[in-house]
Amino acid sequence: MRLRRNAALVAVAITLVLAGCGGSASGSRTSLTVTGSTTVMPIAEVAATEFEAANPGKRILVSGIGSSAGIEAVTKGTCDIGTSSRDLKPEEQSLGLVDIKIALDAIAVIVNPSNPVTGLTKAQVSDIFQGKIKNWKEVGGPDLEIGLVNRDEASGTREAFSKFVLGTADFDPTAAVLPGTGQVRAVVAQAAGAVGYISLGFVDPSVKALSIDGIPANETMVGNGTYPLSRYLHFLTKGQPTGLAKAYIDFVLSPKIQDSVVRDAGFLPVAEGGK
Amino acid sequence: MSDSHDPRTGEPVPEMCTDPKSAENAPRPPARQALMTISKATYLKEAALKNLFLVCACVAVAGVALIFLFVGLEGWPIFAKVGVFNFLGGLKWYPTKQFFGILTLIVNSMLAMIGALAIGGPLAVGTAVFLSEVATPRMREIVRPAVELLAGIPSVVYGFFGLVMLRPIVAHLFGGLGFGLFTVWMILAVMIVPTIATLTEDALRSVPDGIREASYAMGATKWQTIWRVLLPAAKIGIIDAIILGMGRAIGETMAVVMVAGNARVIPDGIFKPFLTLTTVIVLDMPYAAGDHRTALFGVAIVLFIISMIFVAAIRVISRFGKGMS
Amino acid sequence: MRTRERMNKRVTNAIALSVIWLAAIATVAALGTILIYVFINGIGQITPSFIFTWPHGVNMEGGIWPTIQATIYVTGLSMLITTPIAVLAAVYLAEYAVQGRLVSTIRFAADSLASVPSIVMGLFGLAAFVEGMGLRLSVLAAALALSFLLLPIIVRTTEEAIRAVPKYIRWGSYGLGASKWQTVSRIVLPSAMPRITTGVILAAGRAMGETAVVIYTMGTMINAPISPLDPGRTMPVHLMLMAQEGINMPGAYGTALLLVLLVLGFNLTARFIGRRNRRMQG
Repeated sequence: MRLRRNAALVAVAITLVLAGCGGSASGSRTSLTVTGSTTVMPIAEVAATEFEAANPGKRILVSGIGSSAGIEAVTKGTCDIGTSSRDLKPEEQSLGLVDIKIALDAIAVIVNPSNPVTGLTKAQVSDIFQGKIKNWKEVGGPDLEIGLVNRDEASGTREAFSKFVLGTADFDPTAAVLPGTGQVRAVVAQAAGAVGYISLGFVDPSVKALSIDGIPANETMVGNGTYPLSRYLHFLTKGQPTGLAKAYIDFVLSPKIQDSVVRDAGFLPVAEGGK
Repeated sequence: MSDSHDPRTGEPVPEMCTDPKSAENAPRPPARQALMTISKATYLKEAALKNLFLVCACVAVAGVALIFLFVGLEGWPIFAKVGVFNFLGGLKWYPTKQFFGILTLIVNSMLAMIGALAIGGPLAVGTAVFLSEVATPRMREIVRPAVELLAGIPSVVYGFFGLVMLRPIVAHLFGGLGFGLFTVWMILAVMIVPTIATLTEDALRSVPDGIREASYAMGATKWQTIWRVLLPAAKIGIIDAIILGMGRAIGETMAVVMVAGNARVIPDGIFKPFLTLTTVIVLDMPYAAGDHRTALFGVAIVLFIISMIFVAAIRVISRFGKGMS
Repeated sequence: MRTRERMNKRVTNAIALSVIWLAAIATVAALGTILIYVFINGIGQITPSFIFTWPHGVNMEGGIWPTIQATIYVTGLSMLITTPIAVLAAVYLAEYAVQGRLVSTIRFAADSLASVPSIVMGLFGLAAFVEGMGLRLSVLAAALALSFLLLPIIVRTTEEAIRAVPKYIRWGSYGLGASKWQTVSRIVLPSAMPRITTGVILAAGRAMGETAVVIYTMGTMINAPISPLDPGRTMPVHLMLMAQEGINMPGAYGTALLLVLLVLGFNLTARFIGRRNRRMQG
């Protein structure tokens, strides 16, 4: 078992390294290439491992290079399934891609539990993260300096947050830039004036999630579409998926994976969404 | 010179000239005569071996050249594109918007280094003085291994420690997030102590005992001896040690990236996040492409040149010092 | 000397010496704090399953075996590459070299290599071995990059070891008619071997803890490398990623403790060999 796993991983490594996303053409019977968003990658990877265990002889090769690159790859046919943590842009709608939502991601704005502030408007959040508001007392909180915590530029979460909240404006450059969800959570949990943003699935009792524009950040609100900071994660295929691709996608959409792997990765099952 | 004394008994040993090929002994018979005492085969073999070893030694030179070559090749386009002055002197590092100025980073790296030195330097010199002059042999048995073990701890573990233990404490005591110059100084100071302390101790030890004895004989206290006689005598070695410590501080990545906070500005306080030459590389590399990636290699070239300047400075100072005495 | 001056002298002395004691205590305390903290938080994690099983799940729960294998593999390979070259280079510098421009350049180069920031070495490895030589992310690329880092360290310790061999031993050998190489290979090197070994072990400890060099040459993929062309994730890289993700902190602590134990183990072994050697040599 260990040897087979080793061999499989060596093959994955060599193939990934050699082609990024190539080799087998789409529709190949025994192996599948999945590439795109690094946010989606954990789900795809773990699901791939479980799929391979359940279907011996099949190989799913997952890599993460970015949502845009994934969309391009699947359009060109250099991989079988493209993954994306953002919706298709208007100009990408006509590429003949089939958009399959596989998970729901909501971003929660978190503060330290000792912070009496319970909610902000989207405009206030935007101003805070641009550095225009520097003290909690300006938004109804105590006289405490705001400790701004940002994510690194490689983060899909930052990408999404920026799009939802800032639009075209820039983040405050003096904000601390942390490279991981857990770190953001740990810092906000411990520093009284801190504020940051993480995937809703990672919110735990050590931090407090604010409501945005009056809408609390919980699964129901995300599910019925009213929570403003939510997005779907996508698998994209060129034309309707068939064969191995369809089997894998169905596997990822199965309740078992949706409740375990998707939640473990910090997201919500796509079924929670109204649409 | 210790050459002419038997190392075990201390008796003087007359200079002998036994091996015509050894570089240690002089005068020696001219080369042609030497050739006649051995067979040609042996001579060729010895010469071949010597050249082999020389090649091995030159691997070091090759290494430096290769680093310049490869990192330089990857990085020079950014200098061509943006201009050396703009790159080194530009305050804005916003690669996604085509701003490639690393002056902020240079300043931040310097700030981190100077603070670490201010704290770690005296700490290290104090420890070295302790080991060399003040400690009892039993104390030495405890402290010297401690210094060596400190040297062995990987920098990622230092950074981890700073992240999980030091940062919350700083945040709790001083407010803010706990990232920033203060935290970085604490961690870097401890990291450069072994570097500076071992070299300083060596320098102090090489001051002859006679000088110490003379000082005590004149009625000086231990501290007076240390401060007015020994430290000045070991000055060159101590300066070398400090420069090496500076090099280590400015080149440190893993420990810094976990506690610095990584904001691309010059911090306006010692508890505010900041980004350095080393941490920018480790943060941006995962997703940098095109000009951004080239710029990061450019930063690497700058770092390499800075470290070589430090090495050169040590050589110059050592030579200057030897010239003086 | 007047009494007041004498007293001032004594007081300053006492104060200064206490400060020096404080410095030493602070240094030991710093070490103690780090070790104790890592130990207390990590010891709960060190179970056979942690050491020998693979991580699984998105949060890398489970064990860290592949990282241990990767670490040992890359350290061993880099030592294999560096040690012969470094020892022979040291032999040259200690036995054959004559002061001159060449030797000066070699020493400057060795010092420069020793001071290169490890992240620069990592990028160098990326440009030269991973891409330039086409090795891709692999144990071999990482080992090659690491060897440049370790070379000056081993050269320095080996040279010191060789120089420490007393001259009269060499003279005896030459007196018996031995050639230089015979003397070096049969007398000097074996005599210096314990110290050389100490230096090599210390260098290995340094290699094990390297992060920046390895991450760009060996990658971050969880894999137990078998061939030198396989990528892998070493323990320090794993620690860094776990700490950054921040989700599986117990695992991070466990990795940190294992890493520290390994490195300290190497360190203490080297000291032990060194001490035993010194005792034997009287």
